[in-house]
This record gives sequence, C-alpha cells and structure tokens, in this order.
Amino acid sequence: MSNTELTVQELSALMKKAAGVTVDPQDLTARVDTPFAEFGVDSLGLLGIVGELENRHGRALPTDAERCKTPRDFLDLVNGALTTGG
Amino acid sequence: MSAQRSGRTAVTGIGVVAPNGLRTDAYWKSVREGVSVLDRITRDGCGHLPLRVAGEVRGFDASAFIEETFLVQTDRFSHFAMAAAGAALDDAGLSGKAAGSPYSVGVVTAAGSGGGEFGQRELQKLWGQGSRYVGPYQSIAWFYAASTGQISIRGGFKGPCGVVASDEAGGLDAVAHAGRAVRRGTDVVVVGAAEAPLAPYSMVCQLGYPELSTAEDPAVAYRPFTSRARGFVPAEGGAVLVVEDADRARRRGTAIRATVAGHAATFTGASRWDRSREGLARAIQGALDEAGCAPEEIDVVFADALGTPEADRAEALALTDALGPHGTRVPVTAPKAGFGRAYCGGPLLDIAAAVLAMEHGQVPPTPGVFDICHDIDLVTTRARPAELRTALILSRGLMGSNAALVLRQGEQA
Repeated sequence: MSNTELTVQELSALMKKAAGVTVDPQDLTARVDTPFAEFGVDSLGLLGIVGELENRHGRALPTDAERCKTPRDFLDLVNGALTTGG
Repeated sequence: MSAQRSGRTAVTGIGVVAPNGLRTDAYWKSVREGVSVLDRITRDGCGHLPLRVAGEVRGFDASAFIEETFLVQTDRFSHFAMAAAGAALDDAGLSGKAAGSPYSVGVVTAAGSGGGEFGQRELQKLWGQGSRYVGPYQSIAWFYAASTGQISIRGGFKGPCGVVASDEAGGLDAVAHAGRAVRRGTDVVVVGAAEAPLAPYSMVCQLGYPELSTAEDPAVAYRPFTSRARGFVPAEGGAVLVVEDADRARRRGTAIRATVAGHAATFTGASRWDRSREGLARAIQGALDEAGCAPEEIDVVFADALGTPEADRAEALALTDALGPHGTRVPVTAPKAGFGRAYCGGPLLDIAAAVLAMEHGQVPPTPGVFDICHDIDLVTTRARPAELRTALILSRGLMGSNAALVLRQGEQA
C-alpha cells in the first residue's frame, strides 16, 4: 500500500466513521492541539481509527498511536511511521 | 443523610419505545384502543427464517433522539433504551440537569439478549475479513450491560448502576432492584429494559423455543388464553422509568404517577409451565405481602399471557391460587397480544400500560382475543372503565423465572 501521509481531511473522515464525531477539516486544522476527548473521540474511538489505518496501509502502527492525546500528536506519529517505512 | 424519606418508591417518569407507539402517549392510545400492529417481519436478512410475525418498531429514527457518537458504538437495543430513558427523564422533569450530585442518580436495566445485530455484524467481519477488521466497540456494544452503561455515560449518572439478567421477568426484578437502591439512599434511579430481537442471528437464537409461534398470519399468530393459542411472537422495544423516593418527589413538586408497592420472584425451571402455576402464585403472594395488600384490593391484572395452552392454564390457575375467588372476578388484560413480547422490555411496557390505565381509569383490552377458554375475566374488544387503585403485573421467562409486581395509584403534584 501507499506511504502517503495522513492528511487532516482523512483524519476528519476517520473521526466521523470510527467515532461518530463530525469535525470540519478546517476546524480540525485550527484546533489541532485540542485533545481528542474534547472532540468526543474516546480511547476506543481512537483505537478504531488506528485499526482502520492499519488495514488501509497493510502494516502495524506504533502502539503509542492509540495513546495520542491530540490530532497533532497523532498526525506526527502516524506520518513519521508511514514515511520512514519503519 | 439527606432529607427524610418515605421508604416508598415513586414512579415519576415514563418513556416508551414500542411497536405500537414511539412515544408514551401514542403507545397508550394504541393500547387503549386495542390496536394490533403484529405484522410480517420486514427487517433485512430475516425473510428466509421460519419466524414470520412479530412486533417491529417501525419508523424509529435513532438519530432524532441520540447523538452520533453514541449511535456508532451501540446496538439497536441500546438505541431504544437511550431514547426511552431520555423521554422518561423529560417526563420526570429531570432532563438536562443532574439532580444534585451525579452520584445521586443510578441506572438499572434488564436485558435478555444484548446487542445481537451489532454483534453479528462484527462477527461477520471477524470470520469474513479477519480479526483486524472487528471494530473496538464490539467490546461493549453487544453485552447485556451496554444500555445501562450508555444511559449512565450519556446522562453523567454515577450512582449505583447495574444490569439484571434474570430472564424476561427480570424486567420486574429490575424495578424492584431500583426500589431497593432508592431505599438505601440513592435519590433517583433510571430503570427499564428494551430489546431488539429481530435481526438474523437473534432470530435464529429464538427458533429453538417450543413456545415460539411460527404462524404466517398476523391475525392468529399470538392469541393467549384462547383455544387457538399457539405460542407467542417476539417484539422490539421497551420502556424506561424514573423512580425516586415518594417524599423527595413531593418536595420537588413533581407528580407521582404510581408507587411500586411490592415485588417477589420465583424460579420453576425452563419450559416447565405446569410448575409455573405454583411459582407465579408464590410470586403474587410475596408481592402482596410486601405491599401489605389484600387480594381483593387488586383492581386489574396485567397478565404474562405466554400464549400456549399449558402456560395460559397455569397463569389462570395461579391467579385463583393466590387471589382466591377474586382471581376469577378481577379484570385481567394482556395488551401485548397486540404488539408481541419484547422479552425483558415486555414487563416494562406492562408497567407503563398499568400506570396509564390507573391514571385514565380504563382497563385496556386484549387485542385480537375473543374466545377465552379459561376461568378469568379477560377484558377484550374495548377498554373497560373502572376505578383502578392497585394493579398487579405478572411476568414469566422462557428459562423459568416468575415475578409479580404491585403498583399503587399515584397522586398529583
């Protein structure tokens, strides 16, 4: 699968699909340091997002991914893992 | 300790989601008119199964009642329960505000099967695509306790919470459990049950019940207390109550719609309907004892009405065993003949109907039943006006539980 980066748009769509949370991508960009919990994404919701990404990319993500507190932390960690190919 | 308590459990809120009404007022109108909504099952993936007739909750738009964050992680049975809980809290004047401390409000539900549809969807992913495709909410959505958990999270209720898994009669046991929590000092308990047994996996689980009616014609599928009784049909939905101490309800100026006066439960074994006669009679006696209620005080009986000849006979005889001659004179009704048995949700729907019957002074009829072959005064055809101060609600489960609950008339605020 591709090594393309996870964008804010894709994360927004995943938050909707996995956790039922609707956040406009622009709003998510502006609030990228706001904790997931404040958007209404709980730990199981984030786990669902991680699972979906792992299936899409056909590879495991670091275990820390599901513990990220904010969208920025999550994007940084996931994109670091995806682009280094590690 | 908080302010003085009466030790009496008041029902101050009712919320209903039923096949014959998506709101409490619509439900009562259908029940009072004796409308039957039993129909062929139309839910996806069920058409090939030899269970044809049921009471489906149709036109229920969960997103109109519940936030999407809750919808994605819950089964249809929890959607019904959350919607009914919201309606009950509205009715009690408690929506949108925690009554004092969040620890002062508890949640109890009864459950007979959990979230079968959600569970099936995820298990199909497990065996069809692999474990990595199973969503994390499978870990909570299909369990018996899911509705209790989601109602408590959604409302911010941190008081005593629990789920009663004691067969269909557990619907009555849950209300008694809530009453005990109130007597021990919890201000408010949200208590109820709702079920969603009409999905392929859930329906297959029921096909082994010998009491299940597999009739094709909705008009004859569920005819309790008649010579043509051939079993029961299942239903979706249920009801949720708000209960609190009667003195507390008076202090905050809310109407007491009814009080929970007595309850008892017994167990006589799965499908041993002959034995359920004694089990039910003892449950009735226990509930009357707790209520301090003489048999002659019972003004109406909401029957279990399983709908097999043996079970119906046992229930009719149990009424006389427990109530004496009054057992053949007291008006008996089974509104569920018009919409089916919602497993644990069934007794809650009967409680809701009993409270409404007492408020309106009308015994609702048993839909579709005319040719009674037992020695009871079953109300049929149309509602019967009567002064109703005390109601007896009966429930039995397919696995052998029996329970009885006595409700007393409420009072205005």
